[in-house]
Amino acid sequence: MAEVFIDGKKFEYDGEARLLQYMLDHGLEVPFFCYHPSLSVPANCRQCMVKIGQKIKNADTGEYELNSEGEHEVRWFPKLQTACNIQVTDGMVVLTQETDELVKRAQKDNLEMILLNHPLDCPICDQAGECPLQIQTYKYGPEGSRFEVNKVHKPKRIQLGPRVILDAERCINCTRCVRFTDEISETHQLTITRRGDKNYPTTAPGNTFDDAYSLNTVDICPVGALTSADFRFKARVWEMNQTPSIDISNGKGTNIDIWTRDNLVMRITPRYNKHVNEHWMPDIGREAYKLFNENRVSRPSIKLDGESSVKTSWNNAVETLAEQLNLVNKDEVLFIGSPHASVEENYLLSKLANLKGASTPLFTPHTIDGAGDGFLLTDDQAPNTEGCRLLGLEETDAASVKKAISAKKIKLVVILSDHLIDRGVISASDLEGKFTVIFATNNSETTAVADLVIPVTCVAEHTASYINVDSRIQRTIPAKETLYTKRNLNLEMNEGRLDRFGTSFDNWVTQDNKVDCMPLWDFLAQYSESSGHAISFASGREVFADLSEKNSAFKGLSYERMDDESGVQISAKTTTVTS
Amino acid sequence: MDWKNYKPLLIPDIENLHQIDVYVKNGGYDALKSVLTDKTKWADQKSVINEVKEANIRGRGGAGFNAGLKWSFMPPADGGARYLACNGDESEPGTFKDRKIFEYNPHLFIEGALIAAYAMQITAIYVYIRGEYRSWIKMMDKAIADAYEKGFIGKNILGSGFDVEFHVLSGAGAYICGEETSMLESIEGKRGYPRVKPPFPAQKGLWGRPTTINNIETLANVPLVINKGAAWYKTIGAPTHPGPILYGISGHVNKPGVYELPSGVPVLDLIHKVAGGMRNGKKLKAIIPGGSSTPVLRADQLEGVGMDSDSLRTAGSMLGTAGLVVMDEDTDMIDMLWRVSHFYHHESCGQCTPCREGTGWLEKVLLKIKNGEGEVKDLDLLIDITSQMEGRTICALADAAAWPVRYTITRFRDEFEARCKKSIHAVA
Repeated sequence: MAEVFIDGKKFEYDGEARLLQYMLDHGLEVPFFCYHPSLSVPANCRQCMVKIGQKIKNADTGEYELNSEGEHEVRWFPKLQTACNIQVTDGMVVLTQETDELVKRAQKDNLEMILLNHPLDCPICDQAGECPLQIQTYKYGPEGSRFEVNKVHKPKRIQLGPRVILDAERCINCTRCVRFTDEISETHQLTITRRGDKNYPTTAPGNTFDDAYSLNTVDICPVGALTSADFRFKARVWEMNQTPSIDISNGKGTNIDIWTRDNLVMRITPRYNKHVNEHWMPDIGREAYKLFNENRVSRPSIKLDGESSVKTSWNNAVETLAEQLNLVNKDEVLFIGSPHASVEENYLLSKLANLKGASTPLFTPHTIDGAGDGFLLTDDQAPNTEGCRLLGLEETDAASVKKAISAKKIKLVVILSDHLIDRGVISASDLEGKFTVIFATNNSETTAVADLVIPVTCVAEHTASYINVDSRIQRTIPAKETLYTKRNLNLEMNEGRLDRFGTSFDNWVTQDNKVDCMPLWDFLAQYSESSGHAISFASGREVFADLSEKNSAFKGLSYERMDDESGVQISAKTTTVTS
Repeated sequence: MDWKNYKPLLIPDIENLHQIDVYVKNGGYDALKSVLTDKTKWADQKSVINEVKEANIRGRGGAGFNAGLKWSFMPPADGGARYLACNGDESEPGTFKDRKIFEYNPHLFIEGALIAAYAMQITAIYVYIRGEYRSWIKMMDKAIADAYEKGFIGKNILGSGFDVEFHVLSGAGAYICGEETSMLESIEGKRGYPRVKPPFPAQKGLWGRPTTINNIETLANVPLVINKGAAWYKTIGAPTHPGPILYGISGHVNKPGVYELPSGVPVLDLIHKVAGGMRNGKKLKAIIPGGSSTPVLRADQLEGVGMDSDSLRTAGSMLGTAGLVVMDEDTDMIDMLWRVSHFYHHESCGQCTPCREGTGWLEKVLLKIKNGEGEVKDLDLLIDITSQMEGRTICALADAAAWPVRYTITRFRDEFEARCKKSIHAVA
């Protein structure tokens, strides 16, 4: 096998590899700014300088030639090379900043150059704390600056587009943003303008940077030059907790990180998954964070006299549901599942329907033709349409749902997290004369007409799985607390920096930010207790374990596998009957 | 060296040579005819490349690389497009030679380019001329239109079955677009950013296809080699850098201008005998031998130095584009260096960090010294900055900006120190 010697250690490789990527893959560090694994390699920041040589092989024997001291003879390149654009070759010798003083000096020199005209306004810069320039300057940079003349001044606070703001002085001209619009989103909306130390990225005159993926440039910007108009100045990076999750704004199942502070979601950023979204996500998915904070259904509510809605207790909600289910025959009740709800929730609903002896829950996909772009936006507006299909829920079109609901014999309608009136499937009059129960996360026109509204946890609050349009099952992790969960007791929640190092007053303290809701399994467990039915699970994990045991379509799937394999591809789309 | 009896070859003294009829009457396009049709002399394309390689025409754009050797780097033809890009950007300050060819003997260059195109199986030729040369671009347009009309360019040239297209393109005045890969970007209609090598243009050039880039003057030498042979060509001028050279002499001399002479003419002869001596009888102080980026030489370094790459390297400089800038005793070296640095600061494309930031830093510190506010430690800082720039960027602009600073300061240190304030810093 071909071999390469990095800092005196031997590594083996197969096929082709670029040196910098190869080193990153093997846990070796070289500072860099402009390189990005998904973009072309311009080698313009000149930061990843290393010393490169080639061991000379004897053409006849294939053995390395030895010098007078009995060591391998090495022919060194006359100049330092950037690791990002050099292909690894057999017998290559690489010296990094760890072993070579010249390389160390060159990297330090380069950082001094990058910082010459950089404003160094880290205390007020949003990027501080997650800034490659800041981190690498601390690690590899010079102690001070010898620059005693005036810095170049460039435009600041330019609104490039509706979502992105540019501070040209902070820019180090790595061109990642320009390459992103050229190579990934292919809108070609950004370019570098002017020349030399006056250049900076911008749009063509009169154009706005309204790319559907524009906020990715904020993520890949290695400094604070591009910032999110929405997130800027809202929170410091080190104050937030970062929780891996799944985007629910469409059917792609983009992997995301949810950033929370004091039980409010502050922002959403994409998380790398080579099978789904690589490093990217659409802007619209990031705006979904507002759904987790605002307009939430908190505490159950019930309509008295079919008129005014009042808040009620959980006990009353449980009793009312049990009472209503007892009042009707099995063919007088209709259960509506939802592509907007998780696999677990739909499974629980079909379990409830089954207990009643009612027919399998219906669901209708939520699609908008032409909304997809073949990349990360899909026609499917819901995160779990495939999950409903795989569970064996009865798929119908919108008209059939309307017809089924408005049928005379139906007296009770139980809807799971689907705002049917808001998306035009049914109208309020269809529900007249029927008792409507809805499990919901957010207030809407649909919850306004429902007789009993039961708040359930949203994707940021529960452990649940979703199956995307490509039949990949992926799961979420709770990112914020509800009124009934405690971070330090809920083992499903992941641990943030402040959980480990902060005091109990550092984080998670504002009671108002906690929503009075509970996971569907929790509610149904209470319902079971009161009604004597047996849908009692102690966690979302248990629900899924039960599902994978009972339903052959989910056989062999588990949260552990989803975690280990960054989601599991379900190969065949089979229809099976739920338990 | 007997340069006094030299008869110009690139720009011979023939009236109206720029007109195609006059050019053909004086033996023009014979070399092309010979290459395309005389199978006994030129069996195949390879024989043409070998002859040019043997002649050792060293690139006149500044790097001095053997043109024939460069041609031989082109991969075998695969039926797809292959390009020849002719660099007439000549943006290096002190250089103004190619425009003489455009004006007085355009067909010599066109013929050379066509021979190169045939030798490398090129499908299209681009001539890139700087935008400021508006009238010379028109001249070239006319010359190319004439050559198309006479059947020297186009389909089935001279009945040989060889097809090639010829286009003139102009830049918008950026120095960087004279850098070969940056010129390719500009030809493709993009921002002039030099490309990272590898891949080299011979593998992936214009639109990702094999491309060779030659200077205008280099290509103008090709018909001479084809007509009279490599052995004859090598007898002209300096042995290791043969051939005629267009010397562009500017500065404090009585008769500045472009002079065609063999390579290797002594610098002092060029100043005192060719260019009519120093203006107003002043003393020579320094020269820049080959465009502003080449290291400056003091008058006392010039004894016996000839204008060829080896001799100049020994003296501590480079031939570059042979654009000789002559400076007399009244020249303020600090002012001169600041002006050169200002140019490179203005022209750095801004792609690589050391050049983008370094050129500005150099200029600002030099301005401080020029204004009498510098300290001696600033001189050491400048030298340090140049070593942070040299060899650390994609193209050679950083080197071009760094060398004048490094060598002007080291070679005229006394003058710089005299301009500095007394240092307030303790000397260790």
